[in-house]
Amino acid sequence: MDYQKLFKSEISGESVKAWKAQGKKALGVICCHVPVEILYALDIMPVRIRATGCTESPDGDAWMSTFSCSYARGMLQYVLDGTYDLDGIVTSDGCMMAARTFDNAEHVSKKANEGKFFYQIGAPRKTGALEQEFFVRELKDLIAELEKFSDNKLTDEKLKAAIANENEVRVLIQQVNALRNVKNPAISGEDALSIMLASTNCAVDEYIELLKAFLADAKNRTPITDKRARLMVIGSALDNPGYLKVIEDKGGLVVADDLCYGSKPFNHVMDVDDKDILGSIANYYLTRLVCPRMLDNRKAIQKEIVDTCKEYGIEGVIYEKMQYCECWGGESMYLEPDLKAIGVPMLIVEREEHLANAGQLAIRAEAFIEMIEK
Amino acid sequence: MAKDTRLEDAVMAGELSVFDFCCEKIEGQMERMKEKNPDLLWTLQIQYDMWHQVRDAHKNGKKLVFFGGPVPVDIIVAFDCVPVYLDTVPIRLSPNPTLTGKFIDSAEKYVPATTCGLCKTYLGTAIEEQYGVTPDAFVYSSVPCDSSRVVYPNMERIFNVPTFSFDQPFRRDDRGLEYLVDQNEQFVTWMEDFTGTKLDWDKMKETMTNANRTYELQGKCADLRKRKPCPLPGRMLVMNGTTNAMSCYPEMANLLEKELETGEMLSEMGMGPCPDGEKHRVALLQNMLWSFSGAMDWMEKEYGAVTVMDAFGYQHGELYEHMDDRHDCMKTIARKMQNSPMIHGAAGPTENYIYLVDKIFKDYEPDVSIFLGHIGCKHTWASAKIVTDMIQDRYGIPTLYLDVDGIDGRYKTHDEITGALGQYFETVVNK
Ligand code: SF4
Ligand code: SF4
Repeated sequence: MDYQKLFKSEISGESVKAWKAQGKKALGVICCHVPVEILYALDIMPVRIRATGCTESPDGDAWMSTFSCSYARGMLQYVLDGTYDLDGIVTSDGCMMAARTFDNAEHVSKKANEGKFFYQIGAPRKTGALEQEFFVRELKDLIAELEKFSDNKLTDEKLKAAIANENEVRVLIQQVNALRNVKNPAISGEDALSIMLASTNCAVDEYIELLKAFLADAKNRTPITDKRARLMVIGSALDNPGYLKVIEDKGGLVVADDLCYGSKPFNHVMDVDDKDILGSIANYYLTRLVCPRMLDNRKAIQKEIVDTCKEYGIEGVIYEKMQYCECWGGESMYLEPDLKAIGVPMLIVEREEHLANAGQLAIRAEAFIEMIEK
Repeated sequence: MAKDTRLEDAVMAGELSVFDFCCEKIEGQMERMKEKNPDLLWTLQIQYDMWHQVRDAHKNGKKLVFFGGPVPVDIIVAFDCVPVYLDTVPIRLSPNPTLTGKFIDSAEKYVPATTCGLCKTYLGTAIEEQYGVTPDAFVYSSVPCDSSRVVYPNMERIFNVPTFSFDQPFRRDDRGLEYLVDQNEQFVTWMEDFTGTKLDWDKMKETMTNANRTYELQGKCADLRKRKPCPLPGRMLVMNGTTNAMSCYPEMANLLEKELETGEMLSEMGMGPCPDGEKHRVALLQNMLWSFSGAMDWMEKEYGAVTVMDAFGYQHGELYEHMDDRHDCMKTIARKMQNSPMIHGAAGPTENYIYLVDKIFKDYEPDVSIFLGHIGCKHTWASAKIVTDMIQDRYGIPTLYLDVDGIDGRYKTHDEITGALGQYFETVVNK
């Protein structure tokens, strides 16, 4: 099977079109606390919205102002300008910027009487029993709304099958990441991120087949031997593999990441208690370490970064902060000394959604890599 | 005569703590007021009480509970602890850009420069170890915004004291309220552990009674502002921030009683803060401009434009009804948390913000709409078009957008701000 589709990072409507041609619905998803298993179990294709390649966002700017992060404005731009052809959007309350992308998209759509589906669930920012119970109630409401919307009924069997599919994806991506945890990986950071981004707009069955085909062929790939530093990239939502290419062109190799469009959502497999499937879903989505939007996972996220550095032999961490992204902005206070303690330097770089400052990034990445080499 | 900057210099040099500064500053202001305008001494008393209560808490055998965001202050007070609302520090320092600048610059070593100035200032004060008092506990909430969500957990680690955090849902319905009720009960248990005492319901009733009196009076003062002319000056809206920390103390109600009395008197005489009479009524769609509250006076003087209400400070003033019914009280607290300044409009979906602003336009009948957008508050900027389109559609009023930093006065000079406001009045409002 030709798996080249995995490396096409631009937003593609191909899979959605094929899905909708079967008379089924497709919904945009903003942020990563919406359990996609529920959507799949109701035959709805979830498409995680992104802003990849958005160089200008006049509509996004007009609605959200230039004080919003360019990623959020870019997502809104793509929703409004028809880049996405979806039946609506489901979101959880992630960062405020992503929340406003949803608010504005809903407002514009309703004003135009498009009759699309918009729904927001509250995802708690703490991980205790009370919070989990609350999240389960939110999920029940979501299910009820989606059942009406899709004219489908959710059953435990369908839900378990959808979870099994997603878990399979998680395991396969972990295998992709294992390929990066060797001396001379056969896959660049740019390609790895592209593979993970493909999950956002590819139907799950097709995605599993593509991943399997890639993994089967991985041994035939040529190991990368000309790089000078093993790097990890962490920080704000990064949906542009070109960003990693700039770094890798300067001699670094990104072998690990801590990104919500990258490895993070795949790092943990969901354990399912057959007697409490929704409880399992709630527990999984609240406790997996994806993003510092939670109040009580900071230490764990930072520890995971440090542990990954040790496990993957990381020589430097690049911490990219999207301008106006506070969510990912404040991790350095305790992370930096923790990394220092294991001898890993950290480079902090600001960025925008589009690669306007690629030249500056290249210079800084090169200097950082040289510093590591010495 | 050159301005006496000894206190400011001492803070800059790290020799004077922020709370000592606040105490000494208000003492000086009161001395001067006693000489020049003794009738207005009451306007300063609450600040005197608040800063001294914090500074002297340990001396008085009380525990200090620092807090950020909407938390059940009434419960903290019922446990005989002193609540310290973090926001009051940046608000107090903001008229002096050099002082806020010191703490903001310090915080920017760790958080993005685009983080809200409020959060940067209280984080910076912690980094510089310049509060002057040590918190015994820290309580915070998951709202209002991304800035606070980043800064509070960092401060939790700096303070390294017993900490409780609230997860505030965006839902304003019964489920959201009950979720907060459950957390409030958890908080009571936590406070019992922390203080080693049981919650005394009689003491709770006392604080609730005080809070009711405060919010009843605050509601009446807010209602006064609906009158034409509006008898109270725009800058008094800034007091709403203090209410958050002080509502359970009789001193707060005393101040509001005075405010109400004065307002009533002025209203009866047909007077307001505009020297040449009220020509315009301004609604501020976002924060008060703490770093330059003189802008309110300036609009009153130059354009007869009184600020009748701001969308962040405005509160509906929830009152306790059944004080013997613990669950009902906890639910009222939950409602207060959801309706507290900044949270009600800014923290959730834009529809909350629309509801609040629409209410202001209905109740206060402003004819001038100004989005004095604090740049840290990016999420309100991202809702601004929806909100201002609504104002234009429903009330036919265009809105001026002006980017400011409500805390960091270095962002724009006073002249730049009044210049932009003046131009708007000349070319749009008075055209
Ligand atoms: S960084 Fe966090 S809040 Fe933002 S999009 Fe990613 S998961 Fe959502
Ligand atoms: S002013 Fe805005 S950005 Fe600052 S703390 Fe309040 S809600 Fe957050």
